[in-house]
Amino acid sequence: MKTMIKAFSAILVTVLLVSCATGPKFSEISPSLSDAMSDKGRIYIYRTAVLGAAVQPEVKLNGETIGKAIPKGCFYVDLDPGDYEITTSTEVDRHLSLILEKSQTRYVRLNISIGFFVGHVYPELVENEVGEKEIQQCNYTGQQ
Amino acid sequence: MRGSIMLNILCLLFLLGGCAFDVIHIEQFPAKLDSKISCNISFVLVKNVNIQFDGGYKRILKQGTKWNCIGRIVQGEVYKTKDQILTIEASNVFEAYIVVSSRKLVGFYLPVEHAFSALEHPIDLVIDESP
Repeated sequence: MKTMIKAFSAILVTVLLVSCATGPKFSEISPSLSDAMSDKGRIYIYRTAVLGAAVQPEVKLNGETIGKAIPKGCFYVDLDPGDYEITTSTEVDRHLSLILEKSQTRYVRLNISIGFFVGHVYPELVENEVGEKEIQQCNYTGQQ
Repeated sequence: MRGSIMLNILCLLFLLGGCAFDVIHIEQFPAKLDSKISCNISFVLVKNVNIQFDGGYKRILKQGTKWNCIGRIVQGEVYKTKDQILTIEASNVFEAYIVVSSRKLVGFYLPVEHAFSALEHPIDLVIDESP
């Protein structure tokens, strides 16, 4: 019985590790990141939650895929000012609508909640001071 | 007896399904923001405003936040702030500005959807218009 528990634990840990984002820590690369061009804004998108690690839906911006919701992963997009809708799809679509202004920086955290068959990943707009802090522990995956 | 258990299980599955899928909506109505109408007004909230939504979640408009009028819709004046993020949510999340009429918070303007979502019970605002 103990052997089975150990084996199961090892498999679980392996799955979690494989599912998590690889890439440089955001805290390591952030000093070298250039600012968005002055006529654009920037949206950082990140996921801190490892829970539901196997659920990694694509992240879409106004219908176009820009990345994946990888646990402990992050990326950013520089965009013209305007209206944007960020969507994640699992068994349902979840979206966040937001305004981006010139030279503005916004942080979107991808949370996970209970679903019927699989967990739902949903985007949440967070305060910049929260996002700036939380994203430091994520790995930079880059946008697709 | 067995039928009753089955019925309960079906009800539970129905409820879980309802929670999991897209059944919670925010009632919103199309609203045209008229930003040409002069409303060079801003105010600072003197007290926190606690908002309890039907879906069970809460929002707080923080004391000390400054709100600037950006235009009007039929339901009132639309104010936005740079001091905090405001979203309203159901199955989805919407960035929102506040709509004020006669010093009462009457609802929210959704700038991406160009829509108004009303509060069931308007809330009195304690504000300082001097800044």
